[in-house]
Amino acid sequence: MRLTTTRPATPSVIVMENTSTTIVETHGLTKRYGSGVLAVDSVDMSVRRGEVYGFLGPNGAGKTTTLRMLVGLIRPTSGAATVAGHAPGHPSGLARIGSLIESPGFYPYLSGRENLRVVADLARVNQKRVDEVLDIVELSTRAGRKFGTYSTGMKQRLGVAAALLKDPDLLILDEPSNGLDPQGMAEMRKLIKDIGQGDRTVLLSSHLLGEVEQICDRVGVISNGKLVTQSTVQELLGEEGVLVRAQPIEQAQEVLTRIYGAAAISRQDGAIHLKTKPENSVEINRQLVGAGIGVSELRLFERSLEEVFFQLTGEKQGS
Amino acid sequence: MIATIRSEWRKLRFRPAFFVSAGLVTAITALVYFLSWYQALHPSTGDRGAVNILTLFPDQFVNQVMGAGAVGGAIAIVLGAIYAGSEFSWSTLKTMFTQRPGRLTVWAGRVVVFSLWMGIMAVALFVAGAALSTVVALFQGHAITWPAGIDIAKGFGVIWLIFVVEGAIGLGLGVLIRQSAAALGAGLIYLLAVEIIAVRFIDSINSGAYQWVGNLFVGQNATALTQSFTSPAFGRTIAPAISAEHAVLVLAAYGVGLMIVAAGLLRLRDVT
Repeated sequence: MRLTTTRPATPSVIVMENTSTTIVETHGLTKRYGSGVLAVDSVDMSVRRGEVYGFLGPNGAGKTTTLRMLVGLIRPTSGAATVAGHAPGHPSGLARIGSLIESPGFYPYLSGRENLRVVADLARVNQKRVDEVLDIVELSTRAGRKFGTYSTGMKQRLGVAAALLKDPDLLILDEPSNGLDPQGMAEMRKLIKDIGQGDRTVLLSSHLLGEVEQICDRVGVISNGKLVTQSTVQELLGEEGVLVRAQPIEQAQEVLTRIYGAAAISRQDGAIHLKTKPENSVEINRQLVGAGIGVSELRLFERSLEEVFFQLTGEKQGS
Repeated sequence: MIATIRSEWRKLRFRPAFFVSAGLVTAITALVYFLSWYQALHPSTGDRGAVNILTLFPDQFVNQVMGAGAVGGAIAIVLGAIYAGSEFSWSTLKTMFTQRPGRLTVWAGRVVVFSLWMGIMAVALFVAGAALSTVVALFQGHAITWPAGIDIAKGFGVIWLIFVVEGAIGLGLGVLIRQSAAALGAGLIYLLAVEIIAVRFIDSINSGAYQWVGNLFVGQNATALTQSFTSPAFGRTIAPAISAEHAVLVLAAYGVGLMIVAAGLLRLRDVT
């Protein structure tokens, strides 16, 4: 906790500012539906302040159910969660959270602007903020049109605008790129990147690995209702290294083991994976060629998030 | 709470279904007035369908518009079902529940605004009745005199209460079923068939020994309440089986009860 004085001219106005490092924390969060389906199974998740957190998982893994629990739309069967310092659904917590869960829910007979005004009234936000958020999502020129006539992309943008109305500390976006064309997805990615600048925390659920890889600082991967891992994108991808294809391969391995040690070397698909900095490539090439070994490929080796994801969730690539 | 009411009003004031309903009530009132006027001027030979022209003049307009209670009630059920059910089908409930106010505050705001709109519908009905009765009086060369203010207020209160209670049936069904179409269908079937059959059946058991049970139904009480507004001009002499006080209490209990049950459902159920 940090003490911050506001409006110095006014005496004794002291605000307790919560500087806890996590803004979302769950312990054993579980949801079992009446039908017996275990949608979320003992999820322990923590989202730090100021980060863009990617919540990854295949369709039906439990992402949306988890997010619905975090904003208080559904009650957990067991476990606990703290969101923005409060229990999910608590009015004080909701005042600091903006969310877009699944599809944006608005009144089709009202214009985009009028819909935002309805939400602004409910959230007790100044109506001036409506035009500000419309500018942020670049919908100002089309805000007078009825929501029912909006394209999917415009609907998603309006959903993001509504989520931004409260200028929230925490923004929860559930698959915001759903239904968008490639250009719309790129625009949405840029928008989320912009929104995630500064102190604001963004919790973004997605099954689009490229999207998460480009935007997020940390990721949590959920599969069959269980959180299988939670770490930074870099940790998840592992150390970068160098891939070497050479002939004869056995001799190349001997040379590299002598220089870098056995622990740094592994063989996969007829190639050598060497844990070392990419800038050592020139030296590696010189050593191998000097030993009379023919080098056919020498390049940076990095696992993609997609590979890691499929490995963690047990799903088959391309299936 | 004020913020919730403001928000609800903002979205309701542009809602076509509510404008249409107020227009419909006005149009039906006009139709009834003109048909009654025609019947009064062209009486049939028997007693059936005879309309006394005196019932169409301004001093009787409160008694006259009481007849619209049943039709207005049906419209109120439809509106209630649409108002509550569409929040589920448009997924707007999750938008509302993830803003600042708690669920019960949101619901309370909705109930207040819905009740206010039922008041607007009642105003539309009374204004139409007053205007049409004036037209009839002017054409017939009859003096324009108005009922006492207290009678107008009482009449307005009764119509508003009936609209709110019937609307609460629609609201409750909308929340229970979580969609509009099935809710309004169920509400109308209840009002126009189930309740009538149930009351007739109950009244027939044991030579009317259980009539008191039948007297606890919404429709029975709404009808009794509107029938309590009458005058010799209408030619009715039989007093209703249910007193106005009993009817008001039963209807108020239904209204409050239904709103509380709907609030409980909203509070406890997951929004999926």
